[in-house]
Amino acid sequence: MNMEETVARYKEDFDLFPTADEKLEYIFDLGKKHTTLCDEEKNDVTYVHGCASNAWLMGECKDGLLLLRGEGTSEMAKGMLTLLLDIFANRPVDEILGFDPAKLHEMGIVELLSPVRQQSLEAFLKKVYTYAQQCKEQGA
Amino acid sequence: MSTNSIMTIENLQAKIGDKEILKGLNLQLEAGKVHAIMGPNGAGKSTLSKTLVGHYDVTVTGGDIFYKGKSIKEMEAEERALEGIFLSFQHPVEIPGVNNAYFLRSALNAKRKHEGKEELNAAEFLRLMRGHLEMLGMKSDMISRSLNEGFSGGEKKRNEILQMLILEPEVIILDEIDSGLDIDALRAVSEGINKMKDGKRSFLVITHYSRILDYIKPDYIHVLKDGRIIKTAGPELVAQLEEHGYDTIEEE
Repeated sequence: MNMEETVARYKEDFDLFPTADEKLEYIFDLGKKHTTLCDEEKNDVTYVHGCASNAWLMGECKDGLLLLRGEGTSEMAKGMLTLLLDIFANRPVDEILGFDPAKLHEMGIVELLSPVRQQSLEAFLKKVYTYAQQCKEQGA
Repeated sequence: MSTNSIMTIENLQAKIGDKEILKGLNLQLEAGKVHAIMGPNGAGKSTLSKTLVGHYDVTVTGGDIFYKGKSIKEMEAEERALEGIFLSFQHPVEIPGVNNAYFLRSALNAKRKHEGKEELNAAEFLRLMRGHLEMLGMKSDMISRSLNEGFSGGEKKRNEILQMLILEPEVIILDEIDSGLDIDALRAVSEGINKMKDGKRSFLVITHYSRILDYIKPDYIHVLKDGRIIKTAGPELVAQLEEHGYDTIEEE
């Protein structure tokens, strides 16, 4: 499943829930599969600046793919990170760079996020695209 | 009966309060078969179903129950449920404030965890539930309502069958699942039950009337009277019971 198909699958998931509360609750639910980073990986380089709660994102280039792993501290950050990593992690660098993040709005949840959470999403995306750009430049 | 038994009940004696109700009941449930228990009022049918699932109303005073070769007499009700024993209640309780979907998902995930399977998230669960709702002719808003609260008799019974379909138990005890059902509900409920037949699961259908047995074809009929199984025969016994009642049945 490529990035767009993954977004479409999440749209179908979120459409199952009739109310905003249920959609947000589903995000929390996704956070149950949230991964963690080891302490050494949580540093200034991986810190997601501008995120409402503490969050870190590790990016590695390997065989043309951008490998991403992350950790968030709040329930919302854990859920959103799980969802976003499912969409962005371990994808070909060119696919990430060619993906229009506006497509995330199709899931019908971005507008449900508070302005602070929307900034967190922007901060996450900025970090992902920075990593992807670095991979591209390294020719990895 | 063959030795392919999934549950064996041996000389079971049980009481509710001070009243002795099961008085040395013997029964073997065969894997993949439908067993119907019929009997007059007060024979001990509901007590039997409660005893098998470990209901707190019942005190077992003698005998034993073996499930897959292991005694479950001392097992707690929730443990029996996790192991795959299911009872649909004659009178399902209403639990205001407990969302039906949460209740069902928590039950399913507890069972999946017990079986070492990954838990289903809310979306995966709703997808699973939707197909079943459609088949049972249940409205989709029933999943977001409080458990059984304000449900009609038929809706409550359909909801019991929904639980059964979701939990996929191995021994399914249906205590008067047909009571209070109109013909459409009876058909929907029967269809749900028949869908679960897979040649491995065993069904214990407790009923007063033969009507449901037109839809769920039994392999064995057991007559329960005064706390004991007094006769076991094939489905042909139903016609005899309908015609002559329980009084003419002689203990074997």
